[in-house]
Amino acid sequence: MEQVRDLFLTTPAVRRQWQTFLDDHGIHDFSEQETAGLDATLGLYDGQGQLVGTGSVAGQTIKYLAVNEDPDAPAGARFNQLVSALESHLAAAGIFHLFVVTKIQYQQSFEHVGFQTLAKTDQGLILEKGRPDINDYRQSLPKAPATTKRRAAIVMNANPFTKGHRYLIERALSQADFLYVFVVSEDVSLFTSEERLALVKAGTADLDGLAVVPGGPYMVSYLSFPAYFIADQEQAVTFQTALDISLFKDQIAQPLGINLRVVGSEPHSRTTAIYNQQMKKYLPPTVQVLEIPRLTLADGQSVVSATTVRQKIASGDLAALVDYLPSCTQAFIHQHLQTLQARLKKGSKTDAN
Amino acid sequence: MQIKQSALAGTLESSDVQIMLSPAKQGIQFDLVSDVAKQFGDQIKATVLAVLAAYDIDQVTVKVVDKGALDPVIKARAITACQRALAIADQPQWEVL
Repeated sequence: MEQVRDLFLTTPAVRRQWQTFLDDHGIHDFSEQETAGLDATLGLYDGQGQLVGTGSVAGQTIKYLAVNEDPDAPAGARFNQLVSALESHLAAAGIFHLFVVTKIQYQQSFEHVGFQTLAKTDQGLILEKGRPDINDYRQSLPKAPATTKRRAAIVMNANPFTKGHRYLIERALSQADFLYVFVVSEDVSLFTSEERLALVKAGTADLDGLAVVPGGPYMVSYLSFPAYFIADQEQAVTFQTALDISLFKDQIAQPLGINLRVVGSEPHSRTTAIYNQQMKKYLPPTVQVLEIPRLTLADGQSVVSATTVRQKIASGDLAALVDYLPSCTQAFIHQHLQTLQARLKKGSKTDAN
Repeated sequence: MQIKQSALAGTLESSDVQIMLSPAKQGIQFDLVSDVAKQFGDQIKATVLAVLAAYDIDQVTVKVVDKGALDPVIKARAITACQRALAIADQPQWEVL
């Protein structure tokens, strides 16, 4: 009788067996930052006690899935058994909306058990199952007036909202009838996602023709673009940016009629530079890409960047921030300086996006 | 009636069916994935809807992934999903059975 059991990877022998099994199935990335995030790992054992399949969950994402199919059983039997065990595990934890990032060869298997493809590139794809899904997300967004033809989008982390972000938004508005500002929802930055969203809203309250909305799990999230939050190899970055961009194009831009994506030029971050480059490759002709040079200080040299702002918060050099920040963000930082500095000490790095 | 929480019942193994209920604001939205949807789709839907009706649930999103389950299996899984979604898994509604 085949059995699904918990695998405890902290046990060296179990860990070795698990890693060897995955290695044989073409999964080789066992870096600490990947494996530390796994909440649970299940193993499928056959009648002889051999490991014949495994899969893990990290948050709401299925990872490290590999199966040896039984040649005598109907195709996909073990795969289905494992996926359904993982789903039950997540359901028991109250998670009914899940994702999987996987290789092209597994697309059919996942679609066969009710997953829907969100985005696909030559190297891999993202699928989703459960609610609230991408349709619910799209419906939660404010509608652009039907008369607007030129609809633009900006995706920003705004950690925190600077005059540079404001400048980018104003420039985008001058090019478009309506503008969606998607604020990254992932909560791994110095400023929490609520704080960032609230500051962008406050800092643009006087402008018309735009909607400031959370990006949800769909835009520059851990799911679609983990390298934005953790340093990674260039190849991984290229793959992830392609997935993130294809998700934006197919699931967000096309249904909402967005035909312009506005980005700030990126002189410092290698990852963001690759991202911008990939956008120009994949988005046109459906969506035009407009890269706007960064706002500079009065000296015409130093760019207004949120990274600099975070460094100044760390050093307590608030007077210097006047040139960088709109009044809403300044006020927020003055009010919450101690909290922010405490967060910085606790480990949110100033250099992480 | 609306459900209290999302709920999952059943598995994706052969001869079983997996039923997921999620809260919705309006009406019943039904989505079926099955190899035999063409032949038995209507019957599977009718069985699940009958159970929902027995629990007075009329605002819900239903996702069914069928792996060739027989009617009594579908009914049993639907009942379990409803009991869980209404947070009454410990108080079986015998009259529904």
